Amino acid sequence: MSAVPIHARIDRLMRRLASEPQFPTQGQTIFVDLDRQEIRRAYIPRRVVETFLGGRGVNMYLLHNLFDPSLEPLHADIPLIFGTGILTSLVPSASRGNVTSWSPESGVLLDSNAGDYFPSFMKLNGVDHLVLYGKARKWTLLHIEDDEVKFVDAAPWVGMDNLDLRAAIARDFHGVEGKDYGLAAIATSGENLALCSGIMAGPKAIYARGGPGAKMGSLRLKAVVIQGRSADLTPFRPHKTRNRDVAQKLLSASVIKNAMKVRGTPFLYKPSRMLGAMGTKNNQETTWTDKLDAENIDPFRPGMEGCFACPVNCRPLNDMTGCEHTPQDQYVKGDGPEYVTVGKFGPNIGISEVTQVLRLNNICNDLGLDTASTGSAIAWAMELMQRSIITSEQTGGLDVRWGNYEVIERLLFMTAEREGFGNVIADSSRAADKGHYPPEALDYLMAVKGLTQSDPHDARILKAFALGLAVSTRGMDHLRNRVTLEINAKINDDPDFKRELYGGDVSAEPNSYGGKEIAVRRCENIYAVGDSVGMCRFTTKLFNSPTLPGYEEFVDQVANITGIELSLAQIDGIGLNIMGVERMINAQLGVGRKDDTLPKRWFEEAIGVGPYKGEKIDRNEFDQMLTRFYEISNLTADGVPRPEWRAELESVLTS
Amino acid sequence: MITVRLPELLRDGRGEVVTMMATSLGEVIARLGLDNDERDELFNFAVNGDLVLHGEKQVVLNPGDEVEIVVAFSGG
Ligand code: SF4
Repeated sequence: MSAVPIHARIDRLMRRLASEPQFPTQGQTIFVDLDRQEIRRAYIPRRVVETFLGGRGVNMYLLHNLFDPSLEPLHADIPLIFGTGILTSLVPSASRGNVTSWSPESGVLLDSNAGDYFPSFMKLNGVDHLVLYGKARKWTLLHIEDDEVKFVDAAPWVGMDNLDLRAAIARDFHGVEGKDYGLAAIATSGENLALCSGIMAGPKAIYARGGPGAKMGSLRLKAVVIQGRSADLTPFRPHKTRNRDVAQKLLSASVIKNAMKVRGTPFLYKPSRMLGAMGTKNNQETTWTDKLDAENIDPFRPGMEGCFACPVNCRPLNDMTGCEHTPQDQYVKGDGPEYVTVGKFGPNIGISEVTQVLRLNNICNDLGLDTASTGSAIAWAMELMQRSIITSEQTGGLDVRWGNYEVIERLLFMTAEREGFGNVIADSSRAADKGHYPPEALDYLMAVKGLTQSDPHDARILKAFALGLAVSTRGMDHLRNRVTLEINAKINDDPDFKRELYGGDVSAEPNSYGGKEIAVRRCENIYAVGDSVGMCRFTTKLFNSPTLPGYEEFVDQVANITGIELSLAQIDGIGLNIMGVERMINAQLGVGRKDDTLPKRWFEEAIGVGPYKGEKIDRNEFDQMLTRFYEISNLTADGVPRPEWRAELESVLTS
Repeated sequence: MITVRLPELLRDGRGEVVTMMATSLGEVIARLGLDNDERDELFNFAVNGDLVLHGEKQVVLNPGDEVEIVVAFSGG
């Protein structure tokens, strides 16, 4: 039983929220009780905005207030919160939003970001946050239009996967996605509570990590359609010229102009492979074939797509029509792949054919499966099979062996249905906890805080990457704090520039531990701020380039759009605040220093190839780096905000 | 003689592979006209298949070495 039921928590919170917008362009926070079909509306107080901005930051404020750790993640009293950034849809490349909850997959904080159109349509309709709770009595579609929220019987769409669902919604709501409405929906994997399922925000765009699809499915919510553009988004001051400057800055960055816009993230495969850092066969090996280099995808890439009002268009499409190596069915074309999918469905599971990776990508997009978690779960199973920790008895006779394409394809459909061994893959990183595997299987799980690694890069070499993965609040995920520029030799070789970039001395050597905590701290702050204003990670300063929009542009745009003036130090402090409250939420689940660690393999097994052959993580050095990270992050020895700062945060969270 | 494999972006009418005399990566960088102050630099170099992540210009080259230019980004 919940100590304090969700309705009581919401009553308590509502008394502290505002009844009027606190700045121009502020949207409502809508609380939706799916069980009782009740709606309540409020606005986030200005002090909260000044502490956490919006998007991910305010989602954390809401979750902290509504969280009950005595329940289970899929309990209907644990809310699923959609948030849109404070600048989303109003600034080029600020097209993003976050979904936040308690993860049924990892068991810690769930927070996942997506773009395409849904977050922008939230903003365009004056909805900044959507707090969903209560289990609908029957499958429901939430339809929001002209400030009206309708509970629609979702029976006509239940059982549909992403391709059919998006076509049906376009037909049934008489519009075009992205032009007339935004759609966030689950496919069958979410309906069946697969823990590796996401919420589809587009044909490929997905709120992916932590099992948000399962969480939405547990509330019996099939989809949210936000239609029209009813909000008055007149900014505090005109900002057209400033938007032109941001767009120019984006498009003049060399990495955007020459790589992201041309081939998108698959470009990343090659440097990781050549470094000997491409996670292969569940990270037992670290390099793989050049057949998956981005240029080999060229023949199947008819063009690029983009998110709402983003001039970058970094998302490759694929089309294998006429290719004799692949069936000519609905999976012959699609959106993607991203680098994550190339890695997770290529080297990680022993696949080396481009067309097979593309097809698996298209199937995952249709089934609503997170390619990072699903690919990792399959790779884990394959290694267990290789080591005879599991046998074909557990897999129902399936030959779950490296590179066995036919079985992998079949397994994806079985996962979405939770059928046979698919039920085990659907339990993702929890498969051992749920009794499918023996406890020794956990030695081979590539996960931190219960979340499998998001990207294919093996971080035994780059110690800043390793620290980032260890301390990330949502688990083993590179998008929270990756010091990506550690891979850039020009920056490593310029100590003054590097010092200025991170605000302290960071060793030039990528495999050194020296000062890497400083760089991780700086990145974690700016990325958290990016998620709160709605800026895409790919186009946020430090992620791929030192010249992309960062704090200077964010404070300028926030002031113009909301009238809230922030200094550079204040906005950096907001990034830290967000990390602080995330750690406070995790602490309620018993997460602490022991969980800011890395998979056993990275401490014990060395890289076997490439220029950094022999490299692994030294436990002692890692531990010292972690201690230094806590010190500069104002965290206690157990990784939670120090008492004075905690009290400050609590006064905003609860007053 | 050093073999340098160029990405499409740097070919400028040259072939995919050019050869040159050089004793360090710094010399290769200068000869390709890539030695400028632009911070948002796009390229990393690999020597005989091994990616160089720091101390780039000081890397010593020996006759027969193969240099490959690789897009230097890893955040996706
Ligand atoms: S950079 Fe790419 S992923 Fe990011 S908002 Fe633009 S198109 Fe979308």
